[in-house]
This record gives sequence, structure tokens and C-alpha cells, in this order.
Amino acid sequence: MSSAGVPHTDLWPLLLYFELVLVVVGTMLALPPFLGERRTRRTPATEQPYESGIVAVGSSQLRFSVRFYLIAIFFVIFDLEAVFIFAWAIAFRESGWPGYIEILIFIGVLVATLVYLWRIGALDWRTPRQRGIEATIHQ
Amino acid sequence: MTADALTALLPFIVLSAAAVAVMLAIAIRRSFRLVFWLTVGGLLAGLSTLPHASPVAPLQVTDLLRIDAYGLFFHALFLLSALVVALLCLAYFRRRENENEEIFVLLLTSTLGALLLVSSAHLAMFFLGLEVLTISLFPMIAYSVRASRPLEAGIKYLLLSGLASSFLMFGMALVYGDLGVLSFEQIGAHGAELEQKPLALAGLFLILAAIGFKLSLVPFHLWTPDVYQGAPAPVTAFLATVSKASVFALLLRFFTAAHAERSETFLCVLGLLAVVSILAGNLLALLQVSLKRLLAYSSIAHMGYLLTGFVAAGLLRRDLQTETIAFYLAAYTVTSLAAFGAISALSDDDRESDRLSDYAGLFWRSPWLAAVLTLSLLSLAGIPLTVGFVGKFYVFAVGVQAETWPLVATVVIGSGIGIYYYLRVVLTMIQPAGVGQRVTLHPAAGTALAAAALVILAAGLFPQPLIDAAANVPQPPPTADSP
Amino acid sequence: MLKLLCLVPFLPLTGFLILTCSEGRLPRAYVPWIGAGSVGLSAALATSLAFELMTLEPDTRVFRQTLWHWMAAGDFGVDFAFYLDALSLNMLLVVTGIGFLIHVYSAGYMADDPGMARFFAYMNLFVFAMLILVLADNLPLLYLGWEGVGLCSYLLIGFWYEKPENGYAARKAFVVTRVGDTAMALGLFLLFSQLGTLDIQEAMSRAGAQWPAGSTLATAAALLLLGGAVGKSAQLPLQVWLPDAMAGPTPISALIHAATMVTAGVYLIARTHALFTLAPEVQTLVAVIGAITLLISGFSALTQTDIKRVLAYSTISQIGYMFLALGVGAWSAAIFHLTTHAFFKALLFLGAGAVILSLHHEQDIFRMGGLRRSLPLVFWTFLAGLAALVGLPFTSGYYSKHEILLTAYGAGSAGSWLWAAGTAGAVLTGLYSTRLLLIAFFGPERTPAHRHYGSNIAAPLVVLAILSLAGGLAKLPLFPALPETGTDQAGGSPSLLTTAAPFLGVAIGYLVYRTGTASAEALLKLPGSEALRRLWFSGWGMDWLYDRLFVLPFVVLARLNEADAIDQPYRGIVALTRLGHRLLVPTQTGQLRRYAAGMLFGAVLILAVGVWA
Repeated sequence: MSSAGVPHTDLWPLLLYFELVLVVVGTMLALPPFLGERRTRRTPATEQPYESGIVAVGSSQLRFSVRFYLIAIFFVIFDLEAVFIFAWAIAFRESGWPGYIEILIFIGVLVATLVYLWRIGALDWRTPRQRGIEATIHQ
Repeated sequence: MTADALTALLPFIVLSAAAVAVMLAIAIRRSFRLVFWLTVGGLLAGLSTLPHASPVAPLQVTDLLRIDAYGLFFHALFLLSALVVALLCLAYFRRRENENEEIFVLLLTSTLGALLLVSSAHLAMFFLGLEVLTISLFPMIAYSVRASRPLEAGIKYLLLSGLASSFLMFGMALVYGDLGVLSFEQIGAHGAELEQKPLALAGLFLILAAIGFKLSLVPFHLWTPDVYQGAPAPVTAFLATVSKASVFALLLRFFTAAHAERSETFLCVLGLLAVVSILAGNLLALLQVSLKRLLAYSSIAHMGYLLTGFVAAGLLRRDLQTETIAFYLAAYTVTSLAAFGAISALSDDDRESDRLSDYAGLFWRSPWLAAVLTLSLLSLAGIPLTVGFVGKFYVFAVGVQAETWPLVATVVIGSGIGIYYYLRVVLTMIQPAGVGQRVTLHPAAGTALAAAALVILAAGLFPQPLIDAAANVPQPPPTADSP
Repeated sequence: MLKLLCLVPFLPLTGFLILTCSEGRLPRAYVPWIGAGSVGLSAALATSLAFELMTLEPDTRVFRQTLWHWMAAGDFGVDFAFYLDALSLNMLLVVTGIGFLIHVYSAGYMADDPGMARFFAYMNLFVFAMLILVLADNLPLLYLGWEGVGLCSYLLIGFWYEKPENGYAARKAFVVTRVGDTAMALGLFLLFSQLGTLDIQEAMSRAGAQWPAGSTLATAAALLLLGGAVGKSAQLPLQVWLPDAMAGPTPISALIHAATMVTAGVYLIARTHALFTLAPEVQTLVAVIGAITLLISGFSALTQTDIKRVLAYSTISQIGYMFLALGVGAWSAAIFHLTTHAFFKALLFLGAGAVILSLHHEQDIFRMGGLRRSLPLVFWTFLAGLAALVGLPFTSGYYSKHEILLTAYGAGSAGSWLWAAGTAGAVLTGLYSTRLLLIAFFGPERTPAHRHYGSNIAAPLVVLAILSLAGGLAKLPLFPALPETGTDQAGGSPSLLTTAAPFLGVAIGYLVYRTGTASAEALLKLPGSEALRRLWFSGWGMDWLYDRLFVLPFVVLARLNEADAIDQPYRGIVALTRLGHRLLVPTQTGQLRRYAAGMLFGAVLILAVGVWA
């Protein structure tokens, strides 16, 4: 990386790219009113998304259970942390004992977090109501 | 990693360990009291490590962190503030104990973030510290999930904070792209040629924009009243004090290290931000009916005052600048803790006492609470015998000495407007309304408020010890390359 | 032992704090014990200090006690320090001794008043402030005490604040004395700026060294201090507040407006006598003021119908004697008269209070009468007080007044005039005293009196009566705190005349008001005498004059400025601020996209300013 800064002559492809993006997007937004069907009359069908001729069913705004997100977040977090462990594994010999201790602490914290999540029931897939029913069955 | 380095890192290590321990304690058995005491223990342990860390300072630990007396002063300030906030939380969540233990984990991690932030010597650590602080704040703000306000506030803070972080990231990228370095020291080595490097300069300004968001300087301030109002009162107290003070402390460290504080352009931009922040903050606070919003705008104005001191003292001498900023931040932190603490003491998980009408006749219902709130408002207004006066006196003194007359004039106008709305609250409290309905003060909140009020008065009457603590702060950059 | 000096003022302060902080929760029975007890303890302490100090050699009768450094800024330093010499000791004894007796008396007088705790709290605070005033080692501390007693005077005159007249009287006293206080503050500033010290003794010695006698600065400083003194001591031209101050409870009139506070001006001049010696014109002015004041208030006292107002004018007149003494250099005679006056005037007021109490708050002397029989104790003690006031031989008042008049006679060219005025005043004193006595205590009973006092009212009366009669023998030697009064006292015929003057007054009074040889009604039929009576009754129309001279123009100016031209710019500021607020309010949309846009705008702005500036 040159510390003298990027010469301005090298910037022109980037500028051209920006301009092209603007032109393309502008064209796409500007032309349809002229090219498309004249919408003199608004019907319910006008507002419907075009799905290759198939009539859409239901709303696109589905409500997922919040647990999906929870699991997704856990995945992202623990997956990312695993990356650090990989980084350490590659440099295992170079980092030596200090590295080993550090990664132990790191994994320890991860385990603690996992224990915490498990204990507070974040990994339990069931809703609180289902849990309640099961509890009565076990009695 | 030497033994010295480990000693210097002790505050961070202890705080991290405390966070993990608290989390495990929650996993094993949910007990609000136990978790509270563990948190207090962790914070006190963190405090107790500071005397051990200070003999080895100043010390550069890896490229990322620099432990010096400047940072340690703020460590102490933040740990004490966190202690006060913990006490406030204990009182605030008294209705629903054993459901709210996680607030303490978040409190510990966000305090850790603040500590990392003020000690960072590298853009990467800056970002990490800021994110640890901010990400812990999101759930804290939205903590009372039953109400819609906190959720709204949390989402707003999350999104706008994300935007600010993207500014920050982009700014850092530009700096790295142009200079090829990330540590403050090395950026500072390029200081002289910075003016000729537009990309790096633009990067620094984007970083400044992100800092402006965190400090809620106008025009990055729009989130402040909504989030302050929505967040649970103890969290607002934390947000207004530790979060802001840590970012401001970092601003000083970063810009002095980057030798940007003497650049005309930077001072000009900072002065501009200060002026609009003081004016807009004070004007908008004028007729608020929500005390939290009022204090939010007042905090915007106070950040403006601080920035004024930053600019004016920057024109004079560097040690004066640190002294001014560190003292004012400490004064502002203590005062805000008392003000938001008083709000917190009157509120709980179910009902925030936010509207001014909630405070009508408070002097008859709870004289001590009203006295503390009055004291903190007077301190915010900069009335003598309070610590706020000494802080504002510093700002005036350096402003006059540096002959930055437009800034001084703005501070004067702002303070004049300020007195109106602070006294409006005091007058509301004196109104003979609701006499007889006495307020019962939770002992934890009482302790926290008493401590804060005591410091406001004591440091207002005898500011010298605090001045010494703030003034003993050595220069943030290493002595080797400071002029 | 002398180290206990600091306790003398702080005991009453403690009493004040206890009474204030208990917020009336204290059982009523304890209130007088705390209020009077604290002053009693300090009186006992003051007495023992007096024995200790007076057994020292005359040249070493000085004790200085520094409690703490009050403030320090550069070379400007103020200590919280007390200074005890014969002069302040004299004041100390008067304040604590008379103060204690009046506190005891108040326990009886205020027994049924719902605000008793407040009353005693104010009284204790007053004693504290007065002690600070007399013990002060430096000018700021003296000023603190000076303003402190002014505040307490205000609070106590308006003690029965439910009645608007009382509040008005309190305000009048406060405002009028404030005129004097301002002059005095200026005087203190002048002394400090010119002499560079705030220590009183140091300032006096430096003044003597720096300023030649009669220099402009010395004259100015002395004049300004005199302004303060005439305000506090109700001398011409600021005497108008004292008669109205009688609105307060009678013990207050005795303590503050007769014995102690009003004599603070005398104390001030005595304390700074070195300065007045340097300004002979001002010193003469002091004497002239005293002479005129004692005459005009003597005339006013002749016509009053309210028993307390008679005594108030008499007080003004007696302080006039003290000023006369100060003016002719009879420093210790002035303080001596201050002391004896404290005895007999306190006694008279307390006696009047007992009368008022027994007559269910009747103060008009023409509705009294025959009290000699119904209230014998009050009568005899009152008689003793009047005898001392008139200056009948061998009473305390005789010694002090005699010394003043004879010194005045020997003082320069104006001396004989001053002596004549004082002697005429003595005739007047005899006259109005006899009038008061004969109308109130003799003759037919006009209002039935119910003896309405116990031993705590009777005891102070008896003690004070003894002091009034015999107090002249116990003169504290004031040298070297004050220079010796000139020994060239006139003897012979002036001395005889001075002694005879009161008898003349008494005789005239007896003829007019008792035997009816020349009844007052007959005198009033003389042409012009009714107008004269009215003039005297209204205190020489001073109130009317000041109303026209100062109050009215001020009110007119205020009326003219009703729309308040000066206020307009301030209102403009308010309007501007509100406008700014209104303009900015639309930014609080609560909409996230606006907020994000705002941030973007800000980033672009600072980039634009920063990179292309």
C-alpha cells in the first residue's frame, strides 16, 4: 500500500463504474412508465406482484417463530468463534504455551456461555406452553 | 507477555472474569441479590486492581492497549459509576427480582467496553471497545421488554449505532488506505502531512462523525432524546455518563495522538459542532415536559461545553486540555448520575416517572430526593458550590485565555438559557401538589444518590483533590514523540 | 481561661441551632430553658472572663483569639478572629447580661405565644450576631455581625407578621438602616483599599501613620462610617425607623431597640475612634448630630401617647447624648452612658411590657392611670428607671450624663453650645418622664389592670432596677482601649446647672400634669401650639418629608416606566429563545429515517467543511 495516496489517474475506472451504475438504474426507473401498459384503471390485480402467471397466495410477510432467529444468532456467534480457534490451530506451534493458555480461556468462556444458554432454556425448541404441557404429562 | 503487562491488564481481566462468573451464577441459580453482590464484588475487585496497575503505567501492552494514568483515572471513574448504576438497578427492578439478573452481566461487559475504549492505542481496539460497549447497551436499553418504549428506543439505537459504526469503519478504512497504519502513534507520525492527504483527512472526519453520534453532538443528536426517554432510568444514567465520557476520553486521546488537535481545520469543525450543539441542545430543552428528554438535550449542550473546552484548551496547552476535559467529564458524570439516579429512584420496571408533572410537589413528598435532584440540576446549571460550577469555570477560563470569543459567547448564552429550564424543574418540585403521598426510597437508591450528592458538594467546595487527580493525568501519547 | 472566649458567642448560636432544627417539635416547656439558658451560660462565662481580664495589668488587657482562616485570596486574607479588650468586654457584659435578663423576662412575656420557639431562636441568633459584632477582630467579621443584627431586628420587628403594619415597620427599619449600611460598606472598602488591611487595630494604627489629621481620605472614611452609625443608632437624619420598630414584641424593644443593637453605632465610632480623631470636622459633626437629635426627639417624646413610642423617642434622645460624648472626645463617657442606658432603658421597656401585658395589650398612656396601686412592683421599678433616665443625683444615669455634659462644656468653642443643648435636653427628659409617670401611674384607673406576670417577669425588673440605681458605681475602666476622657471637666456653675436641669423638667411636669397649674389642654389653646404639637408628634414630619423627597419620586418614576422600556430587550431575548425553540422542535420527529438522514447530513457537512475548508 503506497503511503503517497492513490493517483487520480487510477481513479477513472471507478468513476466510470459509478456513472454507469447511475445511468443503468436511472434508465430502469425512468423507462417503465413509458413502455408499460397504460394504467388508466386501478384494479386489485394491478397491485399484485407478478409471479409468472401464478396467483400469489397469502402475504409475503410471514411471521416466523422468534426461535428461528435465536438459533440463527447462536449459530452465527459460535461459528464465528470457531474461526478464531482455526486461526490458533494453524499457528499452534508458533504461539506456543501462551497461545495454548489463551485459547483455553477463550474456549472456557465459550463453554460458559453455552452452559448459560442451555440452563436458561434458550436451546429448548419448545414454546413455554408446550413445556408446561409436558411437565404435566411427566407428573 | 510480561508480568508488568499482566498487571496492567488486571482491570480488564478481573472485569471479564466477573462477567463470566455472573453469567455462570445465573445459569446455576437465579438469585437477584446474589448476582447483584457478585457484580458489586467484581466492580470493587476491578477498582482494587487500579492501585496495582498504576505503578507500572505508562505501559504499552501489545499494539492495541496503552495503560497510563490518564486511562486509569477514567477506569476509576467508570467503575465507580457502574457501581452506582448497579445500586440503581437493584432499586429499579425491585418489583420483579429473579427475572432481571442479566442486566448485571450487560453492565459488566459494557463497563469493560468503556475501559477498553479509554485505554485503546489502536484503531482496531477503538472499534472493538466501542462495539463491546455499544452492543451491550442495545439489550440494556430495550431491557424492559414488556413496554413498547424501551423496545423502540433499543431498535433506534441499534440501527443508528450501526450506521455510525459503518461511518467509523469506513473512516478507518480510508485512514488505513492512505497511511497504511492503524495505531494512534503511527497515525500521529504522519500528523504533519495530514493536510495534504485528503483521503486520510476524510477518514478522520468520518471517524469524528461516528464519535459525534456517540456524543450526540448536533446534527448527530437526533436519537438522544428518544433513546434516553425510552431506556430504563438506570440504563439512561449509564448511557449518559459512562458511554459518553469514555468516547470523549477517547476523542482526546485519539486526536492528540494523531496531532489533529492543533490542526486549524479540526478545531474549526469541532468549534462549529460545539456551537450548534450548545445552541440547539439548550433551545430544545427549553419547554420539554419530559424530564428525561430535558436532560437528554441538556447533555447535548454539555457535550458542546466540553468541546468548547477541548478546542480552547487545545489552543493553549496540552496539560490544561487534559485537566479541563478530565475534570469536566468527572463532574458531568457525577452530576448526571445523581440526576438520572433521582429519576430512577422514583421509577420502577413498570412505571417510569418521566413527566415533569410526576415531580410536582416532590419537595413535600420526599425532601431528600428532591434535594438531591435540585443539587444535581444546580450543578448542571453551573451554580457555585457545586462541582458543575468548577467544571464550567474551567471551560470559561480556558475560553477566555485562548480568546475564543465566539465560543465563550455561545457558552454564556447556553448557560443563560440553561438556568431557565433547570430552575423550571426545581420550581415544579416546590409546587404544593400531592402533599402527603410520601415516596419510599429504596435503600440501594438512597445510598447511590447520597454518594453522588456528597461528591457533587464536596468537590464543589473543595475541588482541589479532584483537580489533582485529573491534572496528574500525563499526556495520552507516549512522551517520546510529544513535542 | 480566656480561651473560652469563643464559647461566649457560640453558646447562643447553639441555642439557635437547637431551636431551629427541632422545628417546633421540642416540648414548649424546654424552649425558654434552651433560649435563656444558652445566653445565661455565656453571661456567666463573660463575667468570669471579665474578672480574668481586669486583673491583668492595664497595658496587657488585650486578648486575641483566631479560630480559623475564613478565606484567603492572594494577600487578601480574613481570619475568623475575636478581639477582647476593655471596650469589647464592656459590650460583652452588656449584651450577655442584659440579654440574659431579657430572655428570662421573655419566658414569661411570650409564654402564651404560639411562636415562642421561633421567638427564642431569633433572640439567640441576635445575641450571637451582636457578640460577633462586638468581638470582631476585623472589618468583614464586624460587618457580618452588623448585618446579622440588622437581619434579626427585621425578623423580630415583624415577628407578628400576620399584621401588615408590623411587616411594614420591619421593612422600614430594614430599608432605612440599609442606607446607613451602604455608606458603612463603602467606608470599609475605602479603608481596605487605602490601608491594605482588614484588621481593625492594624487599620487604626496605619491610618494614624499614613493620614495626617484632617486629610480628605480620613474625613471621607470617617464620614462613611458615621453614615453607618447614624443608620444603626437611629440618629438624625436616619432616626425615623426606630419609633415604628416598636411594633415588635416588647422584650425585643428592650433588647434590640434600647440596650444593644441601636448602640452599635456608638460602639463602632468608639472602636474606630483613632480615625475620628484624625477627622476633627467629622468628630464635631458627630457631636452636632447628637445634640440636634437629642433635642428634637426630646420634643417628640413630649407629645407621644403610646407608651412604647415615648420610650423609643427617649432612646433616640439618649443615644444623642452618646453621640454628643463621642463628638467631644469623651469616649469612655459615651460607653459609660451606653451601659447605664442599657440598664435603665431595658428596665423601662420591660416595665412597659408588664403594664401592656396587664392591660391586655393597651399601649395608650391616656387609657392607663392609677397603675401605682394595681401594679406596685412595676411602679417602683419603673420609677427607679425613670429616675436614672432623668439623671437624678446618685442614680446611674446621673454619673454618665453628668460626665458627658461637663466634658462637652470644656470642649472648644462650640462646647458651651453643645452643653446648652444637652442641658436643655435634660430638662426635656425630666419633663416627658414626669408626664409619662403621672399619666400612666397616677390619677384615676381608666382601664382595669389584671396583674398578669410571674416571678420570671418580676425578677429581671428588680435586678435591673438595682442596676439602674446603683450601676453608676460600677464603671469599668476602659483605658487603654479608649483614651482617657479629658480631665478638664468644668466645675462650678455649669456643674450645678447640669445637676439642676432635670429637677426643672420634673418640676414643670409636675405643675402641668399633676397640679394642673398650667394644664396641657390650656397650653394647647395657645396660638400655633396645636400645629407644633402635631409637628412634634409626627417626629418633626421627617416621615412626611422623606415620603415626598425619596419615596414619591421613586414611585412616580416607577409609574412612568410601567411599560418598562428597559425590560423590552429582555423580553426580546425571551421571544427570540422561544422562537428558536419552536423552529427546532420539528426536528423531534421520532422517525428513524429522518434521524439517519440527519446523521448523513452531518457527516457530509463536516466532510465538506473539513476537507475543502
